[in-house]
Amino acid sequence: MNIIEIEHLSKRFDKLEVLKDISLTIQEGEVVSLIGASGSGKSTLLRCVNLLEVYDQGTIRFEGQDIRENIKGINAYRTHVGMIFQSFNLFNHMSVLENCTIGQTQVLKRPKDEAVKLALSFLTKVGMESFADAPVTKLSGGQKQRVAIARALCMEPRVLLFDEPTSALDPEMVGEVLQVIRSLADEGRTMIIVTHEMDFAKEVSDRVVFMDQGVIVEEGDPALLFTSPTVQRTKDFLSRYLR
Amino acid sequence: MLTKLPSDLFGGALYILQKYGPLFWAGTKTTLLIALSGTIIGLFIGLGVGILRSLPESTMDNKFKTFLIRLVKLVSGIYVEVFRGTPMIVQAMFLFYALRPVFHWTKLVAGIFVVSVNTGAYMAEIVRAGIQSLDKGQNEAARSIGMNNFQTMRHVVLPQAIRNAFPAIGNEFVVNIKDTSVLNVIGVTELYFQTTSVAGITYRVQDTFLVSAIIYLILTYSTTMILKIIERKMNMPVQNGPSSTSTAFLVFGNKREER
Repeated sequence: MNIIEIEHLSKRFDKLEVLKDISLTIQEGEVVSLIGASGSGKSTLLRCVNLLEVYDQGTIRFEGQDIRENIKGINAYRTHVGMIFQSFNLFNHMSVLENCTIGQTQVLKRPKDEAVKLALSFLTKVGMESFADAPVTKLSGGQKQRVAIARALCMEPRVLLFDEPTSALDPEMVGEVLQVIRSLADEGRTMIIVTHEMDFAKEVSDRVVFMDQGVIVEEGDPALLFTSPTVQRTKDFLSRYLR
Repeated sequence: MLTKLPSDLFGGALYILQKYGPLFWAGTKTTLLIALSGTIIGLFIGLGVGILRSLPESTMDNKFKTFLIRLVKLVSGIYVEVFRGTPMIVQAMFLFYALRPVFHWTKLVAGIFVVSVNTGAYMAEIVRAGIQSLDKGQNEAARSIGMNNFQTMRHVVLPQAIRNAFPAIGNEFVVNIKDTSVLNVIGVTELYFQTTSVAGITYRVQDTFLVSAIIYLILTYSTTMILKIIERKMNMPVQNGPSSTSTAFLVFGNKREER
């Protein structure tokens, strides 16, 4: 079943056309990686999916419904698509636990004790339960990103969007975050991952989408796309990344 | 207790303080009352206006909402510019006489009003700078978990913005302790007004104003110290944006140390 359908999406920042007629369908339970050079539009595409960016033309449908059709419903829609940012964006004035409960109590109107219970279960999943009361500013980058993943999971989203989740991390912390994302993929969650970690994309994805200069150049099974790309631009890009 | 006014400066000052102590005390109380209430009311005005001035304009909004937001921004912008761009002494004279037929107010109430609206304009800029100094990722993270504008402001943006802006907010209070002195032009019996009264009785201007200066200094210095203690207490590490005095003063560099 299609959960997200992107059709003929276009976006420009002033004169610069960052997305040109993009069409992409994501199925329930599918893990799709978006790869491409910086400035290829992959992050912008991801941000359009939860309306952090406004697109100029085209439609995005979530479970068959145009996500822009009902402006009042934007906030409700956003609870269905969890976002994990490159720079974590944890709420710095709150503890780890509060980061995970604030959305539940304020947006979903869950009772406090229920919210705490769910938050602790997701913090356990990402291995951060012992830090529940710690201020987030005391954490390492890898720990912050794991908390950010728990915060997103607490809203019980249907889709998870990862915007370069490991790009801001020190190399020794990349592994712990990828491990968490891998375990989420194994649960059968629907995920769109923008990443520069090619080995990880190859291993975890059901489908890889290569973008360049605002268009989807090539997409397909990771095993095929990484080993025998058909388009020259894909070959050039991969030869720079895969050695 | 001395019975005759000594001729030297310090002896004279001590004599004047002993003899006219109650007048100075009354003035000090009025000064503190106006400075404190003016700063607090001004902070609330500043919060309101500062938030209005930081409202996001979304291209997804309809035309009427966009128009309304722009209008509100224009009006609040005019308020801020007018009250920061004119001397408080002029505002005091103008507002006291212009609004007297409407409010039928006492000089004290008028004084508090003037300091409040004046401080409000500065606070608005402090709040706005505090909001803008936050990483925009904080806002995006709040929106991405489904928070609306109000929830984002209330739970994510403002708590951090106010903490970052606290040194500048406290500085407003210190400035107000000194600046209430201009209210003597409308006859508010604050410390400066009382000092001129005493000087008029004693004919010893420098001795009398030495007493006044020392009282002002004690007020501002102790306030500064108290604010520093509070600041240290709430200064748990904040990653984004300025958290300590020095950076905050840089960010809010358009502040008036003197006016």
